[in-house]
Formats: sequence, structure tokens, C-alpha cells
Amino acid sequence: MKQTLPNDHTRYKTDNNSDELELTDDDILGAMQHIPGYLDITTEDFRTIYHLAYRRAFERMFAGITASRLMRSAIEPLRPNMTLDIAARSIADSGYKGLPVVDESGYVIGMLTETDFMKRLKAKNFMDLLLKLLDDSFEFTHRCHETTVNEAMTQPAVLIEQDAGFVEILAAFHRHAGRSMPVVEADGKLLGLLLRKDFIASCQPNELP
Amino acid sequence: MRFREYFSKMKSSTRGGPPRVSKEEILWSWIGAFLGIAAVAWVSHLFFDGLDMSLMIGSFGASAVLLYGAVRSPLAQPRNLIGGHILSAVIGVLCWKLLSQHLWLAESLAVATSIAVMHATRTLHPPGGATALIAVIGSPEIHQLGFLYVLIPATIGPLILLAVALLVNNIPSSRRYPEFWF
Repeated sequence: MKQTLPNDHTRYKTDNNSDELELTDDDILGAMQHIPGYLDITTEDFRTIYHLAYRRAFERMFAGITASRLMRSAIEPLRPNMTLDIAARSIADSGYKGLPVVDESGYVIGMLTETDFMKRLKAKNFMDLLLKLLDDSFEFTHRCHETTVNEAMTQPAVLIEQDAGFVEILAAFHRHAGRSMPVVEADGKLLGLLLRKDFIASCQPNELP
Repeated sequence: MRFREYFSKMKSSTRGGPPRVSKEEILWSWIGAFLGIAAVAWVSHLFFDGLDMSLMIGSFGASAVLLYGAVRSPLAQPRNLIGGHILSAVIGVLCWKLLSQHLWLAESLAVATSIAVMHATRTLHPPGGATALIAVIGSPEIHQLGFLYVLIPATIGPLILLAVALLVNNIPSSRRYPEFWF
């Protein structure tokens, strides 16, 4: 039997994006059979308690996770009028896979990453690029010193606000395949860079609810 | 509240109650209840017959259901068992003393107030409602007891049931009693 829930079970769903596993009556009754003795609770009450307790545990686990706490600060952003060869040098020196692009007031207008370079060079990935470079017949046609960052960057970039929590960060990384995203103030000014690996490292899988 | 919403609540929210317990559980519930009620009856016979008093009231049957049949229930824990009976007995005797001319009022006030007080003191124990009601409808002997009803039977009886529950409910590996004392 599939879900045998009352019509109004949706009110127990979270308002955020996290997917709480819904328990069917069969799940609960089956579990109750493993506990000897009469359990003085209905499946619906158990389900209500389960969801409320789950949410409390969730908040307890991830209360400390915010974008501003996890981000790398002191990022040297790129400017839209830079040429790609200079931008490439900046990215290489930064140690990251890409950098945010900001206008003169510090607002994030895009993101320039290794992937954007691959696209320009018509390579599917790094290995593809390497093989192309080794191929004698390959002509390196792209003129990086004549193209500006503005033309090559991904825009609009997927941004995350500084006080975004676990759920918002997870949703943002869900929305795009990037390895990092700019952390901004409420008005869109650059604060830092949140790396996907830092986010994952902050989540202890064995402490998950 | 809208009517539709009000009546839709009368449809049940869930499919069936908790599953039936195992045969072993049924047996232990039977043994516990048998010994518990027997103990109250024997103590009553040995010590209170001569005093023209009885230790046995109907609400102990209901307490036995909880104590030996729903061991894990919060309603069956010592705080609830003892507190529920004592508080309800006080309220029942008070209602009888103050309102015995208006029997219907004394009865309904006794039960309703005992539920409210048990709620407020976290001692909710369903048989307490019966203990309060018995103090009002009673028998002439019970009415004669006055506030002694709170002690005999409403404190001593539950204490005997509690002692049997502690001894019997901890024998099978599948049971443990109490979950909490206070």
C-alpha cells in the first residue's frame, strides 16, 4: 500500500526545501510491532511528533552554518573590462577555479571560471583541451588578449546572501553546477567566495539527523 | 471555525489504532492485573474488614488496565497513578461535602475539575475521574469516610497496585516499569 495519509498531511511538510521523508501508516505500524507492549499513540500523532522533532534536530545541526562563516574572504575580484589573459593570470594566482566579476561599486555582475575558458576554446573539458593542444593540426584561434571578461563571463551569477543557511546554500548549489559562488550583502555587494568543498566539509555526515 | 472544517474533523485522521500485542504481552497483562487486584482485595480483607471499611473501588480496575496493560503509557507511570488518584479523591470529597443537595452538579464538577487539576499538575490518570465520581455517588459507607477516603482507599489502593506493578512488570525481558517516577 502506498501513502495512506490524511488529506491535510501537507501541513507537516517543511516550508523550506529540505525533503523530509514522509512515513506511511504501514511504516509506523511495522516499527511499533518491533516494540513489545501496547504503545499509547496513533500513527498520526507519531507522524506529527516525528516531523516536529526532525525539524528541531535539523535546526540544531545546521544552526551554525551560514554563508558568511564558510566563505573565503579577501577575494580579488575581476573587472568586466579586463582582458581574458589578465583574468586568467588572476584566477591562476588566486588558487580558485574561478573568480567573481564586479562593477566599480563592488556589485557582482557575473562569474568567470575555468569552464567559461573551456567554452571559449571549444573544449569539452581539460583533457579535451590538452589533447587538442597536442594535436599538431590544432590552431589556437582564440585571442584572449583581445576579449574582455565581460564577454566571456557567466551572467547572471548564482549568488548567495551572507546570512543564508544550510538549506539556502544547498538549494543554490543545486541550481548550478559551479564549484563556488559569490557571497554578497543584501544589496548584492561582494563579500567573499563560498567553495562547494568548504560547504561539504562543514556538514558532518555522521551527525546528520 | 467553518462548518465544513468542523465536520471534516469527525472523519478519522489515521488508519486504525496500534497493532495487537503479542500473546506473551497479553499473558503478562493478565498476570499483573490478577495479582494487583488480588493484592488489593486481600489487604482489604485482612486489615480493613474489621474496621467496616473497604479498600476496593471501581476505579482500580481502570488503573489496572493502564498499569499492567499499557505499561509504557505516560498515564500509567507512578506520578500519574498516585497523584491522579489522590488529587481526584480530594476533589470528589469536596464536591460531595459542598454540593450533596445537587447531586448532578456535584458529580459533573467532581469529574471535570479532577481532569483539569490532573492536567495542570501533570498527573493525568484516567481512573482518577472515576475516583472523584465514586466519592460523590459512593455508597453510604464511602460518604461516611469523609476526607479519610483520600487515604483509604484512594492512596493505599494505588500504592498496592504500584508495588505489584514494580514486581511483576519487571519480570519479562520485554517490559520495564516505570518509565519515570515523578
